[in-house]
Amino acid sequence: MSVLEIRPRPERARGYGTRSARVWWWTVGTGIALLVLVTVHMVAHHFVVDEAGGLRTYDQVLDYVGNPLILAIEALLLLTVTIHAMLGVRSVLLDFDWGPRARRLVDAGLWLLGVLTVLYGYVLLAVLAWRA
Amino acid sequence: MSGTGVTELPGARERAAPGPVLHKGIGPAPSGWLDPRGRSLGGRAFALNRVTGLALVLYLYLHLGVLSILLFGASAWDDLLGVATSTAFLGLDVVLLFGLLFHGLNGIRVGLVGSGVAPDRQRVLFWAGAAVGGVVLAYGAFHVFGAG
Repeated sequence: MSVLEIRPRPERARGYGTRSARVWWWTVGTGIALLVLVTVHMVAHHFVVDEAGGLRTYDQVLDYVGNPLILAIEALLLLTVTIHAMLGVRSVLLDFDWGPRARRLVDAGLWLLGVLTVLYGYVLLAVLAWRA
Repeated sequence: MSGTGVTELPGARERAAPGPVLHKGIGPAPSGWLDPRGRSLGGRAFALNRVTGLALVLYLYLHLGVLSILLFGASAWDDLLGVATSTAFLGLDVVLLFGLLFHGLNGIRVGLVGSGVAPDRQRVLFWAGAAVGGVVLAYGAFHVFGAG
Protein backbone atom coordinates (compact mmCIF):
# COMPACT_ATOMS: atom_id res chain seq x y z
CA MET A 1 0.00 0.00 0.00
CA SER A 2 1.35 3.34 -0.94
CA VAL A 3 1.35 6.11 1.54
CA LEU A 4 0.44 9.60 0.51
CA GLU A 5 3.44 11.65 1.49
CA ILE A 6 2.48 14.92 2.94
CA ARG A 7 5.18 17.52 3.11
CA PRO A 8 5.78 18.37 6.78
CA ARG A 9 4.70 21.80 7.83
CA PRO A 10 7.65 24.20 8.03
CA GLU A 11 8.68 25.03 11.57
CA ARG A 12 8.02 28.74 11.09
CA ALA A 13 4.41 28.08 10.09
CA ARG A 14 3.42 26.75 13.51
CA GLY A 15 1.83 28.69 16.34
CA TYR A 16 0.88 32.33 16.51
CA GLY A 17 4.39 33.73 16.35
CA THR A 18 4.83 33.75 12.58
CA ARG A 19 4.80 37.00 10.71
CA SER A 20 1.59 36.26 8.80
CA ALA A 21 -0.13 35.25 12.03
CA ARG A 22 0.97 38.46 13.72
CA VAL A 23 -0.30 40.47 10.74
CA TRP A 24 -3.64 38.65 10.93
CA TRP A 25 -4.01 39.37 14.65
CA TRP A 26 -3.03 43.03 14.14
CA THR A 27 -5.67 43.26 11.42
CA VAL A 28 -8.29 41.73 13.71
CA GLY A 29 -7.22 43.86 16.71
CA THR A 30 -7.29 47.13 14.80
CA GLY A 31 -10.56 46.02 13.19
CA ILE A 32 -12.17 45.51 16.61
CA ALA A 33 -10.91 48.93 17.76
CA LEU A 34 -12.28 50.48 14.55
CA LEU A 35 -15.74 49.07 15.21
CA VAL A 36 -15.86 51.35 18.24
CA LEU A 37 -13.87 54.30 16.90
CA VAL A 38 -15.60 54.52 13.51
CA THR A 39 -19.01 54.20 15.16
CA VAL A 40 -18.16 57.09 17.50
CA HIS A 41 -16.78 59.09 14.56
CA MET A 42 -19.79 58.51 12.30
CA VAL A 43 -22.36 59.20 15.03
CA ALA A 44 -20.51 62.33 16.19
CA HIS A 45 -20.18 63.68 12.67
CA HIS A 46 -23.41 62.67 10.98
CA PHE A 47 -26.04 61.82 13.55
CA VAL A 48 -25.87 64.44 16.30
CA VAL A 49 -25.31 67.65 14.30
CA ASP A 50 -28.48 69.53 13.43
CA GLU A 51 -27.23 70.69 10.04
CA ALA A 52 -27.88 69.59 6.45
CA GLY A 53 -26.39 66.12 5.95
CA GLY A 54 -25.24 66.16 9.57
CA LEU A 55 -22.08 68.03 8.52
CA ARG A 56 -20.49 70.60 10.85
CA THR A 57 -19.88 74.22 9.96
CA TYR A 58 -16.32 75.58 10.23
CA ASP A 59 -16.86 76.96 13.75
CA GLN A 60 -18.52 73.72 14.85
CA VAL A 61 -15.52 71.75 13.55
CA LEU A 62 -13.12 73.91 15.55
CA ASP A 63 -15.26 73.58 18.70
CA TYR A 64 -15.35 69.82 18.18
CA VAL A 65 -11.61 69.39 17.65
CA GLY A 66 -10.87 71.80 20.50
CA ASN A 67 -12.13 69.22 22.99
CA PRO A 68 -9.01 67.29 24.18
CA LEU A 69 -10.94 64.03 24.55
CA ILE A 70 -12.31 64.28 21.00
CA LEU A 71 -8.85 65.21 19.72
CA ALA A 72 -7.39 62.09 21.36
CA ILE A 73 -10.16 59.88 19.92
CA GLU A 74 -9.68 61.28 16.42
CA ALA A 75 -5.89 60.86 16.67
CA LEU A 76 -6.33 57.24 17.82
CA LEU A 77 -8.83 56.65 15.01
CA LEU A 78 -6.40 57.91 12.38
CA LEU A 79 -3.57 55.73 13.72
CA THR A 80 -5.78 52.64 13.95
CA VAL A 81 -7.44 53.05 10.56
CA THR A 82 -4.07 53.65 8.88
CA ILE A 83 -2.57 50.47 10.36
CA HIS A 84 -5.67 48.48 9.35
CA ALA A 85 -5.66 49.98 5.85
CA MET A 86 -1.96 49.34 5.23
CA LEU A 87 -2.28 45.72 6.40
CA GLY A 88 -5.31 45.23 4.15
CA VAL A 89 -3.56 46.68 1.10
CA ARG A 90 -0.53 44.53 1.93
CA SER A 91 -2.60 41.35 1.91
CA VAL A 92 -4.08 42.23 -1.49
CA LEU A 93 -0.68 43.09 -2.97
CA LEU A 94 1.08 40.02 -1.57
CA ASP A 95 -1.51 37.76 -3.19
CA PHE A 96 0.31 38.49 -6.45
CA ASP A 97 3.27 36.48 -5.13
CA TRP A 98 5.96 38.75 -6.53
CA GLY A 99 8.86 37.19 -4.67
CA PRO A 100 10.87 38.17 -1.58
CA ARG A 101 12.39 41.37 -2.98
CA ALA A 102 9.00 42.70 -4.03
CA ARG A 103 7.55 41.74 -0.63
CA ARG A 104 10.21 43.83 1.09
CA LEU A 105 9.48 46.74 -1.25
CA VAL A 106 5.75 46.45 -0.55
CA ASP A 107 6.39 46.39 3.20
CA ALA A 108 8.75 49.36 3.06
CA GLY A 109 6.43 51.34 0.79
CA LEU A 110 3.40 50.74 2.98
CA TRP A 111 5.35 51.62 6.14
CA LEU A 112 6.38 54.91 4.52
CA LEU A 113 2.88 55.65 3.24
CA GLY A 114 1.36 54.82 6.62
CA VAL A 115 3.79 57.01 8.57
CA LEU A 116 3.27 59.93 6.15
CA THR A 117 -0.51 59.51 6.36
CA VAL A 118 -0.54 59.60 10.16
CA LEU A 119 1.91 62.50 10.28
CA TYR A 120 -0.14 64.55 7.82
CA GLY A 121 -3.35 63.83 9.70
CA TYR A 122 -1.77 64.79 13.01
CA VAL A 123 -0.49 68.08 11.55
CA LEU A 124 -4.00 68.78 10.26
CA LEU A 125 -5.53 67.99 13.64
CA ALA A 126 -2.93 70.07 15.48
CA VAL A 127 -3.51 73.13 13.27
CA LEU A 128 -7.28 72.92 13.73
CA ALA A 129 -6.96 72.37 17.49
CA TRP A 130 -4.59 75.33 17.71
CA ARG A 131 -7.08 77.54 15.85
CA ALA A 132 -9.81 76.50 18.29
CA MET B 1 -4.02 3.50 -5.30
CA SER B 2 -1.62 0.68 -4.56
CA GLY B 3 1.63 0.85 -6.44
CA THR B 4 0.96 4.20 -8.05
CA GLY B 5 3.60 5.95 -5.99
CA VAL B 6 1.65 9.13 -5.31
CA THR B 7 4.11 11.53 -3.73
CA GLU B 8 2.32 14.88 -3.69
CA LEU B 9 -1.10 16.28 -3.00
CA PRO B 10 -3.41 16.96 -5.94
CA GLY B 11 -2.99 20.50 -7.24
CA ALA B 12 0.26 21.08 -5.32
CA ARG B 13 2.15 22.14 -8.45
CA GLU B 14 -0.58 24.57 -9.47
CA ARG B 15 -0.57 26.11 -6.01
CA ALA B 16 3.21 26.38 -5.98
CA ALA B 17 3.32 28.15 -9.36
CA PRO B 18 3.90 31.91 -9.13
CA GLY B 19 1.04 34.23 -9.92
CA PRO B 20 -2.18 35.57 -8.38
CA VAL B 21 -3.79 33.48 -5.67
CA LEU B 22 -6.64 31.71 -7.40
CA HIS B 23 -8.15 29.74 -4.56
CA LYS B 24 -9.78 31.75 -1.78
CA GLY B 25 -12.75 30.16 -0.12
CA ILE B 26 -14.49 27.10 -1.50
CA GLY B 27 -14.70 26.57 -5.24
CA PRO B 28 -12.50 27.50 -8.13
CA ALA B 29 -12.03 31.00 -9.42
CA PRO B 30 -9.69 30.69 -12.39
CA SER B 31 -9.64 34.44 -12.92
CA GLY B 32 -8.78 35.40 -9.33
CA TRP B 33 -10.44 36.43 -6.06
CA LEU B 34 -12.56 39.17 -7.65
CA ASP B 35 -14.42 36.77 -9.94
CA PRO B 36 -17.69 35.71 -8.23
CA ARG B 37 -18.40 32.80 -10.60
CA GLY B 38 -18.49 29.41 -8.96
CA ARG B 39 -17.71 30.82 -5.51
CA SER B 40 -19.34 29.95 -2.22
CA LEU B 41 -21.08 32.56 -0.09
CA GLY B 42 -17.86 32.93 1.92
CA GLY B 43 -15.79 33.41 -1.24
CA ARG B 44 -18.11 36.12 -2.51
CA ALA B 45 -18.15 37.80 0.88
CA PHE B 46 -14.33 37.68 0.85
CA ALA B 47 -14.24 39.39 -2.57
CA LEU B 48 -16.73 42.07 -1.55
CA ASN B 49 -14.82 42.56 1.71
CA ARG B 50 -11.70 43.32 -0.31
CA VAL B 51 -13.52 45.61 -2.73
CA THR B 52 -15.10 47.60 0.12
CA GLY B 53 -11.76 47.64 1.96
CA LEU B 54 -9.89 49.04 -1.03
CA ALA B 55 -12.67 51.59 -1.62
CA LEU B 56 -12.46 52.64 2.04
CA VAL B 57 -8.68 53.10 1.73
CA LEU B 58 -9.28 55.41 -1.25
CA TYR B 59 -11.95 57.20 0.76
CA LEU B 60 -9.48 57.68 3.65
CA TYR B 61 -7.24 59.74 1.39
CA LEU B 62 -10.19 61.54 -0.21
CA HIS B 63 -11.41 62.36 3.31
CA LEU B 64 -8.02 63.71 4.37
CA GLY B 65 -7.92 65.79 1.19
CA VAL B 66 -11.39 67.22 1.79
CA LEU B 67 -10.62 67.98 5.44
CA SER B 68 -7.53 69.87 4.28
CA ILE B 69 -9.92 72.52 2.92
CA LEU B 70 -10.47 73.47 6.58
CA LEU B 71 -6.94 74.92 6.49
CA PHE B 72 -8.15 77.56 4.02
CA GLY B 73 -10.73 79.02 6.40
CA ALA B 74 -14.46 79.31 6.93
CA SER B 75 -15.46 80.55 3.47
CA ALA B 76 -13.69 77.69 1.69
CA TRP B 77 -15.34 75.18 4.04
CA ASP B 78 -18.77 76.75 3.53
CA ASP B 79 -18.32 76.48 -0.24
CA LEU B 80 -17.55 72.79 0.18
CA LEU B 81 -20.60 72.26 2.41
CA GLY B 82 -22.76 73.70 -0.36
CA VAL B 83 -21.63 70.85 -2.63
CA ALA B 84 -21.39 68.14 0.05
CA THR B 85 -25.01 68.61 1.12
CA SER B 86 -26.40 68.16 -2.41
CA THR B 87 -28.57 65.10 -3.01
CA ALA B 88 -25.91 63.39 -5.14
CA PHE B 89 -23.23 63.73 -2.45
CA LEU B 90 -25.61 62.62 0.30
CA GLY B 91 -26.24 59.54 -1.85
CA LEU B 92 -22.49 58.89 -1.83
CA ASP B 93 -22.64 59.14 1.97
CA VAL B 94 -25.11 56.27 1.95
CA VAL B 95 -22.77 54.27 -0.34
CA LEU B 96 -19.97 54.99 2.14
CA LEU B 97 -22.18 53.80 4.99
CA PHE B 98 -22.87 50.57 3.07
CA GLY B 99 -19.13 50.02 2.60
CA LEU B 100 -18.41 50.62 6.27
CA LEU B 101 -21.24 48.37 7.42
CA PHE B 102 -20.38 45.51 5.07
CA HIS B 103 -16.65 45.66 5.81
CA GLY B 104 -17.19 46.00 9.56
CA LEU B 105 -19.88 43.35 9.96
CA ASN B 106 -18.17 40.90 7.60
CA GLY B 107 -14.95 41.61 9.49
CA ILE B 108 -16.64 40.47 12.70
CA ARG B 109 -17.65 37.25 10.91
CA VAL B 110 -14.14 36.68 9.57
CA GLY B 111 -12.63 37.36 13.00
CA LEU B 112 -15.00 34.97 14.78
CA VAL B 113 -14.51 32.22 12.19
CA GLY B 114 -10.77 32.70 11.69
CA SER B 115 -9.90 32.92 15.36
CA GLY B 116 -11.73 29.67 16.08
CA VAL B 117 -14.48 31.23 18.24
CA ALA B 118 -17.22 30.19 15.78
CA PRO B 119 -15.49 28.27 12.98
CA ASP B 120 -18.64 26.46 11.79
CA ARG B 121 -21.04 29.40 11.85
CA GLN B 122 -20.05 31.18 8.64
CA ARG B 123 -23.47 31.31 7.01
CA VAL B 124 -25.51 32.23 10.04
CA LEU B 125 -23.02 34.96 10.94
CA PHE B 126 -23.16 36.32 7.40
CA TRP B 127 -26.94 36.53 7.35
CA ALA B 128 -27.08 37.94 10.88
CA GLY B 129 -24.65 40.64 9.78
CA ALA B 130 -26.71 41.27 6.65
CA ALA B 131 -29.85 41.72 8.77
CA VAL B 132 -28.18 44.11 11.21
CA GLY B 133 -26.46 45.98 8.38
CA GLY B 134 -29.68 46.31 6.40
CA VAL B 135 -31.52 47.86 9.34
CA VAL B 136 -28.66 50.28 10.16
CA LEU B 137 -28.24 51.22 6.49
CA ALA B 138 -31.96 51.95 6.13
CA TYR B 139 -31.92 54.07 9.29
CA GLY B 140 -28.74 55.85 8.20
CA ALA B 141 -30.08 56.61 4.70
CA PHE B 142 -33.32 57.92 6.16
CA HIS B 143 -31.40 60.10 8.59
CA VAL B 144 -28.93 61.45 6.02
CA PHE B 145 -31.64 62.43 3.54
CA GLY B 146 -34.05 63.45 6.27
CA ALA B 147 -31.50 65.84 7.73
CA GLY B 148 -30.80 67.22 4.25
